[in-house]
Amino acid sequence: MTQYETAFLISPNLEEEAIEKVISQMAEVVKKKGKLINEDRWGKKKLAYPIQKFEEAFYVFFLYEADPAVPFELERQFKQTEAILRYLTIKKETKEKEVPEEEKSLPASEEKPTEGEDVGGDIEEEAVEKKKKDEEADEKEEAVEKEEKVDEEVSLPEEKEKEED
Amino acid sequence: MAREQRTERSSFRRYFPPKRKVCRFCQRNVRDIDYKNVDILKRYILERGKISPRRVSGTCSYHQRRLSTAIKRARILALLPFLED
Ligand SMILES: [Zn+2]
Repeated sequence: MTQYETAFLISPNLEEEAIEKVISQMAEVVKKKGKLINEDRWGKKKLAYPIQKFEEAFYVFFLYEADPAVPFELERQFKQTEAILRYLTIKKETKEKEVPEEEKSLPASEEKPTEGEDVGGDIEEEAVEKKKKDEEADEKEEAVEKEEKVDEEVSLPEEKEKEED
Repeated sequence: MAREQRTERSSFRRYFPPKRKVCRFCQRNVRDIDYKNVDILKRYILERGKISPRRVSGTCSYHQRRLSTAIKRARILALLPFLED
């Protein structure tokens, strides 16, 4: 059993009753084959950018323990439900995998001066990451890399990519 | 930028290295960076919505990776903008 967190955004033009129905329908999917640990509702919230012309949406978060079949079934139902504007599922990291103390307290800036090029945040960061992989054959770093891969998106909405710069 | 200029700047940096900044997540002993914690993420976003590079924020590579993941997730859920004009 893995712990997942699924977030979904419900259209703001739904009646309160209809919203309840969507949420309980999705909660049932989880409860059927998994364990719903927490349901968090943020209510109607303004979106950072419009989605399908909507300026706001209802935010709901499910934290649950289940086999991968459950997030997949949720995703299937999200796709079929018009009122779902967006969703995201991530695997939660289990608490036992603690990061060693030395890893946490690594000094902040290890970049060599020659490497500092003035590119935008995302791009530079990826470049630095690749360089770091070569530089640091350090086992500590390796351990974290592996752990990182556990915590990844299970599903992404289709529109995601094209909005990026 | 011309290649010459860059070399010049590099040698300058070698003799006068920038002040070492401390990772704020390490300082506070924070391990995970939650994408739902938008107030914290916003502090690491530059104008036009870009993620602040480590060079500027002083974040360690471990936390920078987590920060970048969190910001990308928050963008997908429209908690943060992709681009800000
Ligand atoms: Zn750190």
